[in-house]
Amino acid sequence: MPVQYEESMAAGKGDTSLKGNLSLTNITDLLQFLSSSAKSGMIQLVRHPGGQEGKIHFVAGELVSAVSGDLAGLEGLADLLAWDQGTFHFQPGAVASKTNVGLSVQHAIMEAVVLLDKQVKENQSNPTKAVEERSLDMQGGRGSNEVLNDLLEISGIDAVVVVGRDGFVIESAGSSARVNIDELGASLAHAINGIEEMGSELNVDRFQDMFIEYGRAVILCKPVGDAVAAVITPDASKLGIIRHKTKKLFEELSHSF
Amino acid sequence: MTVMRDTVVKSLAKINVQGDENGLIPEYEVLVNLLPVSLLNTFTERIMAAAPADRKAEVEAGLVRAAYECGYHTGCGIITSEIFNDVVMPMVTEGEKDILRGAYAAFTAWGWAKSGIVQLKEGEKMIIRAFDYYEADSGGEGLRAYMLRGLSQAFFDLAYADPYPDGMDTYVCHQTKGIEVGDPYGEFVVTKK
Repeated sequence: MPVQYEESMAAGKGDTSLKGNLSLTNITDLLQFLSSSAKSGMIQLVRHPGGQEGKIHFVAGELVSAVSGDLAGLEGLADLLAWDQGTFHFQPGAVASKTNVGLSVQHAIMEAVVLLDKQVKENQSNPTKAVEERSLDMQGGRGSNEVLNDLLEISGIDAVVVVGRDGFVIESAGSSARVNIDELGASLAHAINGIEEMGSELNVDRFQDMFIEYGRAVILCKPVGDAVAAVITPDASKLGIIRHKTKKLFEELSHSF
Repeated sequence: MTVMRDTVVKSLAKINVQGDENGLIPEYEVLVNLLPVSLLNTFTERIMAAAPADRKAEVEAGLVRAAYECGYHTGCGIITSEIFNDVVMPMVTEGEKDILRGAYAAFTAWGWAKSGIVQLKEGEKMIIRAFDYYEADSGGEGLRAYMLRGLSQAFFDLAYADPYPDGMDTYVCHQTKGIEVGDPYGEFVVTKK
């Protein structure tokens, strides 16, 4: 576990409570940790500043309910995932009064991230503003190689590649014994072309992201500006956390292409 | 559908390198030759070394100009050729942007540089990245991929300036990174003059 939690023992009772600060970890990491250790109980969260409260209940590591202020279920979880400042306290044994999620942690995180993406997209629905921002972004910002290196630091990612829509491998970092990067570039371009044509035929808007799970590798890709970024991971066990942690970096990467 | 680079490279790389009685290879409705890149690099090195310090910038501009003139006319020949029409044009759905993608794929297929588009703001700006271009092996100081500079400017003129042959010198290309100075790739930025 890469993060440090403040763990305290309730004197004389023998139960363990887990407390910490969201500036040291994040809710996704916490959910993954509790899921992997099959805990039952409740995470109580307080957001800073503002003091908004949230609760997430588990039974045997499964996420049964989430509440953030007036939001409940996946909407509540999506809201909580966006918190980056605050405190948490895991209370073992606390039981939820009702179930409003009822999914595995991985599945719940993925569904909540989809909701978050949707909210971000709705907030960016002004196309004129988007073009103006892209125009400005072409003039500067953090180098794409720095962002790629940050992506590589996410646990579970072997390699990252940015590919033009024509299959030109613009940039790559890391290495994957599973996949030839040049062949991946060409194959991704063909696959995404087909997927975009399908989206156009079905009139369901542009493609947002894609997971391909093979026996020996999982490829997650997402449009970044006029290019496509893909990360390669050995299996799907960390896909939820990878998807969550790559989100902001992919957004940053889109400023470079 | 957009232009698929690997499809273009595979189709265009089947060049017949057999020259005619003058050593010229008629391909894609232009004449090309097969010369060792060391000859081209040596020519550049010598002409730059012979230039007095106060006139090096002019000589450099002359080398870029030579590449530009060649790229503008040859590039037009390539993108209007029968084979380009057969291989690339059926995949073109994004107009000039796709033609440029096809042009850089053709450039790669010919072995000049593994290069492609990183960013393109139509009619205003283009950023090109190139790997393993032959000028990276040249001797000298500073950024010196003159051929790629001239050619990138020529391609952008052909795509977005007035129709051939009236669109010359509308855009300009600057090299911002180079393998020859220790960067991992060469980078070229085309903007309005």
